[in-house]
Amino acid sequence: MLLFLQSLLNGILLGGIYASYSAGFSLIFGVMGVINIFHGEMVMLGAFLTYWIFTLFHIDPFLTIPFSIVSLFIFGYLVQRFVINRVVEAPPMISYILTFGIHLIIAYTALWVWTADFRTVTTSYSGFNANIGGIIVPYARLATFGLALFVVVGLYILLYKSEVGRAIQATAQDKEVARLMGVNINRIYAITFGVGAAITGIAGSLISTYFIVYPQMGLPYTIIAFCVVVLGGMGYIPGALWGGLILGVVQSLTATYLNAGLSGAFTFILLFIMLIVRPAGIVGKGIVE
Amino acid sequence: MAILEGRNLTKYYGALAAVNSVDFSVEKGEILGMIGPNGAGKSTLFNVIMGVYKPDKGEVVFKGKKISGLRPHKICRMGIAKTSQIVQPFTRMTVLENVLVGGLHGKNLSFINATLEAEEILEFFGLGGLKGMASGSITVPDRRRLELARAIATGAEIILLDENMAGLNPTEIEEVLKLLREIRNQGKTLIVVEHIMRVVMGISDRIIVLNYGEKIAEGTPSEVANNEKVIETYLGEKVCFV
Amino acid sequence: MIGLLIVPFIGVSGYLIRLLAMIFFWIGKTGCWNIISGYTGYIDFGAVGYYGIGSYVTAMLMSKGHVPFLVSIFISGAVSGLVALPIGLPTLRLKGAYFGIATLAFAEAMKQIILEFDKTVGVNLFEGPHGITLPIGPKNEFFYYIGLGVMVAVIGITYWIRRSKFGYALRAIHEAEHAAELSGVDTLRAKIKAYMISAFFLGLIGGVEAYWLTYITPHMVFDVLITIQMVVMSLLGGMGTVFGPVVGASFLTIIYELLHRDFPYTYAIIVGFIVVVVVLLMPKGIVGTLQTKLVTQKTRLTQ
Repeated sequence: MLLFLQSLLNGILLGGIYASYSAGFSLIFGVMGVINIFHGEMVMLGAFLTYWIFTLFHIDPFLTIPFSIVSLFIFGYLVQRFVINRVVEAPPMISYILTFGIHLIIAYTALWVWTADFRTVTTSYSGFNANIGGIIVPYARLATFGLALFVVVGLYILLYKSEVGRAIQATAQDKEVARLMGVNINRIYAITFGVGAAITGIAGSLISTYFIVYPQMGLPYTIIAFCVVVLGGMGYIPGALWGGLILGVVQSLTATYLNAGLSGAFTFILLFIMLIVRPAGIVGKGIVE
Repeated sequence: MAILEGRNLTKYYGALAAVNSVDFSVEKGEILGMIGPNGAGKSTLFNVIMGVYKPDKGEVVFKGKKISGLRPHKICRMGIAKTSQIVQPFTRMTVLENVLVGGLHGKNLSFINATLEAEEILEFFGLGGLKGMASGSITVPDRRRLELARAIATGAEIILLDENMAGLNPTEIEEVLKLLREIRNQGKTLIVVEHIMRVVMGISDRIIVLNYGEKIAEGTPSEVANNEKVIETYLGEKVCFV
Repeated sequence: MIGLLIVPFIGVSGYLIRLLAMIFFWIGKTGCWNIISGYTGYIDFGAVGYYGIGSYVTAMLMSKGHVPFLVSIFISGAVSGLVALPIGLPTLRLKGAYFGIATLAFAEAMKQIILEFDKTVGVNLFEGPHGITLPIGPKNEFFYYIGLGVMVAVIGITYWIRRSKFGYALRAIHEAEHAAELSGVDTLRAKIKAYMISAFFLGLIGGVEAYWLTYITPHMVFDVLITIQMVVMSLLGGMGTVFGPVVGASFLTIIYELLHRDFPYTYAIIVGFIVVVVVLLMPKGIVGTLQTKLVTQKTRLTQ
């Protein structure tokens, strides 16, 4: 019983993280119909940014988050503006292939420059846990989970309560009308991508605190983002939360009761089944082409 | 016996019935017109006949056989073809190849026969000179004719025309009407959906009127034109009776 | 062609023979990918799944079952082709990008399953991450001819398909699937057929290459980079053209050979750049763009 609860809790904490970096993926698809295969690379970049700042300047990883936000926002904005914007009007398959190319460029350049070594970010407080009735809750993980939720909620607030957010939503719903109402579509696309990149960067920074950081880590994360977003509904931001939590729990339980490697297989099988049986997501609010 | 019949056809979109308990029948060699305001369910009905949708209730009967629930390509091979509201040529294939596909797959002809027939059909439609051009680069009126040509090539006995003449000028419309009459004279049956009243009234033997998914009237063009319910439906709508 | 047949006999270096063989196999793989994705437009991102299945079938048959090579590879092809049916039926109903994601998920799932199967079920079948070692094979010349044969077969089939009724169905599906269905094309059947043919040959090639490599692990034969190279080679050469794969595969394999020893990662980076450049500037690929230029010239001449 205790094992089950521990596993469940781990899954929830994990799920929150998954939700935080999948939200950006969902946002980008929802607003401009782009399937971003280098999404995982943005996680990787955020993680590496935190790693290097932590290692070189000894700044606490949680304090590196503002750097992630700014750098990745700029990165996302520029990539969208100059490369991706040319294919936003095309079928999603084109952006899929294009972003796959960008994925290769980023991942292998990182591999070249930073080598394949695994790195970790270990702080003085990494090992401290709270012990609630036999269930171990690492403080760092709890903080990460909290921040992850904060990110998702923050995105939601941005979209619904701010001027920019409303422009983004308008563009997502009907870009012709939005254009007529004075919205600069290209700028909104670039901003949206920047925002998506920024929150993914935050997630990457958080992830560096308890997962291994290495240049090839991107693609598995991208696939997880796919799974989360398909579960929750493509383009439906709150769905990222559900999808993330479900996936986190499923993975955690498989790892505990079967074996760790199989949890990876389950993710893909789950993704496959979801796409066939219920592509609009569990709640059914996703965008299906 | 009617060549095509719809019995109590109903199709839901969520809680709304796009087509509601519609009965109709068409005789061989007839031209049946179908009119109704936008959203009345005409396209949906066509899609149900064509097998794109399975009816939630009721059935479609073609030459005495029930076809509702079959896949569109099967229905096409059995003898019903449809043109789409938004023209869909095989853009990067030539005009000839477009029609060829119909003959190869709809009528199951050999390459030689399908090509010969395709060329004849293109001549009939006046598209012979364009046969080597990419279908994506011909004019819209020509594309509409190509859509019709492709449907004929499948060997269909019944052709459903879904606003095939939208956007054509009066001269072009006249030409298409001439072609349609000729096609009927060759033994085909047509069901025509158009918003241009002149066209529908002019060419149809009988007309059925849909509104909100239900059939509200049926009869000869003059009967329908004088039907009170029909007039009521079109009050406030832009209608060209010219 | 005749030239290619006699190359190994004219005293060319072993290195060139190996390079040519590699090119032949890449042309074969890309050609397979082209049959489904180039013709129908359904971009398959899980092609390596069938390649890997083929590799493992041959590896197990030859190392554990002592089944002769030629028999093994055809069994590999058959198994891959059969697996393609239950995978293809549900996924080929998905639209565009979702098909890409689903097939990617399939390939990655296969990798994980092969990795974890033995441990989970408690058998010694796939050997998990340790990989399987095959009996030592003949020299490169042998694989040169097998590769030549496979390449000719795949390109030949691609050519035959293009001019057949089946080919017209596939192209119609690519251009306007709904209209194709309404015109009598059994779209599902055509798609599945193309997918299974592609899977069969990918499985067969996987089997041959397993023998050539002599040692395989899941990470090697289910590597998504293999799929991506097929995509890029096809894209570069021209998707849906018969000789596109030939051009694209030759070009990219030569670049790989030039780079991979000294600059291992640069190859992947260049592949990435090629993707970006081709998608943005030359979506028809090399052969495709040339064909369009020729057609435009022909039209101009006949007017």
